[in-house]
Amino acid sequence: MRAQRFSLLAIVGILLFLVGVAFVNSNSPGDFGITLLSGLFQGMLLFLVASGLSIVFGLMDVLNLAQGSYFMVGAYIAYDAQHPGGVIDLMGALPDPNVRFIAAVAIAVASGALLGYMLERGLLRPLYSRPIFQLVLTFGVSLIALEAVKFIWTTTPYSWTELFGVRETFFELFGQRFSTYRLFVVAIGGVLIVAIGVLLQRTRIGIIIRAGVEDREMVQALGINVRAVFTLVFTFGCAIAAFGGAIAAPFLGASTTLGSVFLLQAISVVVLGGMGSYAGTAVGSVLVGLSIAVAQDTAIGTSFAALPSITPMLLLVLVLLVRPSGLFGNTR
Amino acid sequence: MQNFVRVVQSRWLALLLLAVLILFPFIVGVLTDSSPFGVARGDRMIMRGGSVRWQSVLIEVYILAMLAMSYNLLFGFTGVISFGHALFFGTAGYVLGLMLEYTALDTGWALAIGVVAAIGVCGLLGLVIGLVTLRLKGVYFTIFTLAVAEMAFIFFGRWSVTRAEDGFAISDLPVWLDPSQSRIGFYYITLAAAVATFLFIRRLVNSPTGAVFKAIRENEDRAQSMGYNIINYKLLSIVIAGMLAGAAGLLHVILNKKVGPEILGVAYTVDPLLMTIIGGIGTFTGPVIGAVSLHFLDVFLRDATLVLGGVTIDIGNIWALLLGVIFVAVVIVFPLGMIGTWQRWRTRQRKR
Amino acid sequence: MTTLLDVREIHTFIGQFHILEGVSVSVQTGGITVLLGRNGAGKTTTLRSIMGLLAPTRGSITFDGAPIHGKRPHAIAQMGIGYVPEHRAIFKGLSVRENLQLAERQRGDYARKSAFIFELFPDLARLIELPGGNLSGGQQQMLAVARALVPDNRLLLIDEPSEGLAPVIIEQLIAAIQRLSDQVSVLLVEQNFRVASKLAQRYVIIEEGHSPISGAMPDLMRDQALVQRYLGVA
Repeated sequence: MRAQRFSLLAIVGILLFLVGVAFVNSNSPGDFGITLLSGLFQGMLLFLVASGLSIVFGLMDVLNLAQGSYFMVGAYIAYDAQHPGGVIDLMGALPDPNVRFIAAVAIAVASGALLGYMLERGLLRPLYSRPIFQLVLTFGVSLIALEAVKFIWTTTPYSWTELFGVRETFFELFGQRFSTYRLFVVAIGGVLIVAIGVLLQRTRIGIIIRAGVEDREMVQALGINVRAVFTLVFTFGCAIAAFGGAIAAPFLGASTTLGSVFLLQAISVVVLGGMGSYAGTAVGSVLVGLSIAVAQDTAIGTSFAALPSITPMLLLVLVLLVRPSGLFGNTR
Repeated sequence: MQNFVRVVQSRWLALLLLAVLILFPFIVGVLTDSSPFGVARGDRMIMRGGSVRWQSVLIEVYILAMLAMSYNLLFGFTGVISFGHALFFGTAGYVLGLMLEYTALDTGWALAIGVVAAIGVCGLLGLVIGLVTLRLKGVYFTIFTLAVAEMAFIFFGRWSVTRAEDGFAISDLPVWLDPSQSRIGFYYITLAAAVATFLFIRRLVNSPTGAVFKAIRENEDRAQSMGYNIINYKLLSIVIAGMLAGAAGLLHVILNKKVGPEILGVAYTVDPLLMTIIGGIGTFTGPVIGAVSLHFLDVFLRDATLVLGGVTIDIGNIWALLLGVIFVAVVIVFPLGMIGTWQRWRTRQRKR
Repeated sequence: MTTLLDVREIHTFIGQFHILEGVSVSVQTGGITVLLGRNGAGKTTTLRSIMGLLAPTRGSITFDGAPIHGKRPHAIAQMGIGYVPEHRAIFKGLSVRENLQLAERQRGDYARKSAFIFELFPDLARLIELPGGNLSGGQQQMLAVARALVPDNRLLLIDEPSEGLAPVIIEQLIAAIQRLSDQVSVLLVEQNFRVASKLAQRYVIIEEGHSPISGAMPDLMRDQALVQRYLGVA
C-alpha cells in the first residue's frame, strides 16, 4: 500500500538524515557513538511517556496532558527514596544502594499507578460525556501536580548523588567512555517495547485494546466492559511514565521542568508516529530522541542554543503541515 | 427619549456599575484621602497614594477581563480549545515594544503603527494557525497552539534582538498614555477598552454569525450538515479572539512599561482559562466575574499567611496550588461556573 | 411461542431530536421478525435503544422477562443479545480469527462454535488470518454475523445486512440467516423489501417514531395498499 511505503521511506529517510548529520558533526567514531547513545536514551524515555499518551488517546479520546507530570513525579519519588532525608527515607532499611534503587523505582511505579487510577476513576469518569472538559481537566491536574511537587520538594532541582552499581560503571568503545547506565536504560526500553508489543498482539486484553482503539462502541456491544479497560490502560500508562521518570532520574535528576519538557516531546512523538498507533509511538520515540541528540550536538558552539529545546516542536509543526496522520496513523 | 428611558430601566444595574467604575478613582481618593492624579513633584506627577494604587489594581483587572473575554469567545462560544492564548498576548506586546524602542520613529507614529501592526500580526497568527490545523481533528489545534506558544516563549527568551530573558523596558511613551505619569488617563483607557470588548463580543455572539459559533460548539457535525463552512467560522473566531487578546497584551506592556518573555508564558494561557471556567463558560459576564474574583483573591492573599495547628503557611507560596485545586473542583462540580450555575438556578426558580 | 423481547412504548432522543415517540416491538422466540419503514423512520434507533447504545427516556424493554432498559450495553450483550450493526463494524486491524475470538464471552466459545460458523460461511475459514480490512463488503458482513454467533446468544439484532452488497452475496446471506434462525431468534432491520419478505415471518412497521402496525409477513405481502402506504415501494 502506498501509505505504508511512504511511511517506511520517510522513516528510513529521517534516520539516514539524522545519522548523517551526527556523523558529519562528530570528530571521531566515539563522538558519534555518544550522540547515538544519548539519542536512544532520550528516545526510550520518551517511549515510556508517549506510549501511554498514544494508547489512551486512541482508546479513550482523551489527551492526558498530565502524562508528563507522572514522569516528573516518578523522578522525584525515586530520587527521594534513594537519597537520605526527604519524604521517604530508606537509608536505614536498605543500606545497599542497588537494592535501594530497585525499591525506589518500585515505589515510584506504584505511586504512579495509584495516582493514575485515582485520576481516571475519580476525575475523568464523571466527565466521559464532556470530552472538552476532560482535556481541560488533565491540564488542571498537571498544574496541581507541578505546584504540589514545588511545595513538597521546592523549586531547586536535584542532582543524583547516591550512586549505585550500574550507574557508576563505564565501558570503553572506540577510545570513548560511555556510561553503562545509558545503555542499561536503552536495553530496558527495548525490552519493554517488545514486551508491550507482544502483549498487544497475543493476549486477549491486547486484542480488546486494539479493537477498542478502532471502535469502542462495538467492543461494548460484544459484552466487554470498556470502562474497566479504560481504567486499566490509563493506570498502566501513568505507571510506565512514572517508571520512565524513575529510571531517568539517576541521569537527569529531578526538576520541576521535567513535566512540561517531556510532555511536549511526547506529544511530538505521538503526532509523528500517528495517534493511537503503537508501532508509530515506538518508531517516533526513537526518531525524536535522535533528533534531539543530533540537535544538541549541532547546537554546541553556535548561537542556536535553543535548538534542542524547540526541535520536537519544529518536528510537530512539520508533521502537521505535511502529513498530519503521522507515520502510522489515520486522520479520522 | 422613551427608548433611552427603557434602556436605563432594563439595564439599570449595569449602568450603575459603570458609573461606579467611572467615579472609582475619585471615590477611593476620598476614602483614602489621596488624589486620583497622584502627587505633584516639580512639573511631573508621581504615582503615589491609595487612589493611584487601587487604580492599578483595577487596570490589571480590566486587562485580564479582556483577555478572559477573548478566550471565552473562542472556548465558551465556539467550543475551540486553545492552549496557546499567551502567544497572542505576548506577541502583540513584543511588536509594540519593538516598535517603540527600536525604531527611529517619532513616538506618536511608532505608537500608532505599533498598535496596528501588533493587532494585525495577532490576526495573521490566528489565521495561519487555524488554516494549518482546523481541517484536522480538534485536538490537533489544541496541541499545535500549545507547541507554538511554548516555542515562541523559548525563542523570544533567547533571541538577542528581543534582549533574551531580560527583555527591555519601554521608556518612550506619550505623557497622556504613560501610566507612571497619568495613571488616571490610562485607567479610563483600559476601562473603555474592556467595556468596548464586552459590548463587541455580546453584539457578535447575538448576531447570526454568533449563532453559528454556538451551533458549532453544540454539535459540529450538525452545523456542517446545515451547510455552514465551519472552518471559516472557526477561523473568524480565532482571528477575533487573537486580536482581542493582542489588544490586552498591548495594554499590559504599556502598564508595566516592560517587555519580557514572561508575557508569552503559560500563565497568560492558564489565567484566562481559569477565569472563564470559574466565572462561567459561554456567558458574557462570566469571564469578567472570573477575572475580578481571581485577581482580587490574588492581591489579597498574596501576602497573607494561614496558621494551621502551629504551622504557618505562606499563602502566596501555595496560591498556584490552591488555584489548581479550585480549577479542578469547578470543572467537576460546577462546570458552568459561577454565572452559569446562577443562571441555571434562576431558570429553575422561574419554572416553579 | 414465548415472548423473548418486549419493547413497550419507548421514547428515545438523539440530542434534542425526539426520534422514537412510543415504539413497541414484540419478538417471539424462534424465527425472524423484521422492522420495516422508510429512511429515517427510527429503525436503527430502535435497535440501538434495545442494545443500550441509546437510553430510552420513557417506556420499558424486557428480555426474557428481565428489564434491560437503562442497562449499559455490555451488560445487555452479556444477557444473550448479539448486535450486527449497520456498516458491519468489524475491526479492520484485527484478523478474522481475532474478530471472532474477541466475541467470546466464555472460554472456548470460539472453539465450540467454529465448526457451525464455517459451515454457514465457508469463505471465512479460508480468510481466517487476513486482517478484517482486507475483506470485501460481503465477506465483512458475513464476519459481522458470524461474530454474533460465537457466544451463546439468544437474540440477534441485525441492521441492514444487505446494504451495498451484490445480489449473489445477498442470496448467500439470506440462506445463512435462514439457517441460523433455527438456533437463534432474529430481529432484523431491512430496507430491501424482497430480502425482508424472504426472511421474516413477522413484521413491525416503524413510521416517524411510531410503530403503527405489525403482524404476520404473509399477510403484509398480500396487502399492496399497506405496503405502498408505509413503505412506498413497489
